[in-house]
Amino acid sequence: MKEPLTYVVVGLAFLLFLAASYYALRDRLIDDKLLGLAALVELGLLVMLVIGLVGIGNITDTTEKATFVAYLISLPVIPIGTSLLTIKEKSRWAMGSMAIGAFAVAVMVLRLQQIWNAHA
Amino acid sequence: MPEPSSRRALGGPGVALVVVYALLALAATGRSLVQIFTEFDNAPLAYALSALAAVVYLLATWCLIRGGRWVRVGRWACTFELVGVLVVGAASFLVPEAFPAKTVWSHFGQGYGLVPLVLPVLGLLWFRKVEREAVAAEQVTDSAEQVTDSAEQATHPAEAPVQDDPRPDAPVA
Repeated sequence: MKEPLTYVVVGLAFLLFLAASYYALRDRLIDDKLLGLAALVELGLLVMLVIGLVGIGNITDTTEKATFVAYLISLPVIPIGTSLLTIKEKSRWAMGSMAIGAFAVAVMVLRLQQIWNAHA
Repeated sequence: MPEPSSRRALGGPGVALVVVYALLALAATGRSLVQIFTEFDNAPLAYALSALAAVVYLLATWCLIRGGRWVRVGRWACTFELVGVLVVGAASFLVPEAFPAKTVWSHFGQGYGLVPLVLPVLGLLWFRKVEREAVAAEQVTDSAEQVTDSAEQATHPAEAPVQDDPRPDAPVA
């Protein structure tokens, strides 16, 4: 995985985490700015998915490879799921959920990079 | 069709609970699939437990989303998770040789930030809240409509023409 891309995605996800937490605390609902940020995170995750699948051959250990693929595929689901939730359920709790999801994305992307570094 | 207010599990804090549950279900499912397909023979007990935990987390997530009659199932799922994390957590400390590989529940879910230990408790509290509100809502409905038994309606169909939906908690398709 390209390290700069990883850090950009982690940065964006962390930013989304902070922004969504702020929205939840101030009881503000989802708006275009936050959705745009979530879309950027999603875009980054999709690029990672493509790069990761292309370079999957570098990872030789079967367990690590399976984990890597599982992370790659589940990651893009999270921002979409939480974004849909904040649109459907207009509450600060939905915003909090978006924050939780964003945090999980940041952690999972870092783990992805860890597996990649150990093998490539 | 508007959401029935009673026994609707999703809403308010329930939303956040669903997301955390879904994430844990995702993590547990992913891990157990990886383990079973790549190295099941290494630690069959641990990996079978992982798979079981994953299924129960998925079930609990589903119950939280649907509410209604699923509340009861959800309470069993949460209870099972709580017992599981306590038993496996204790066992992984007492007889570590039986657990050569990590499961979601090993060491009380340390590998997942102790979330597996906290989540079933929150889930049970949430289901209890939902159930109580539903009971309160049903008592109001019952006193308003003395006849609620559908069998009685069947024998006197003409007497209850408007009561097309006697159970407000009927699942929304």
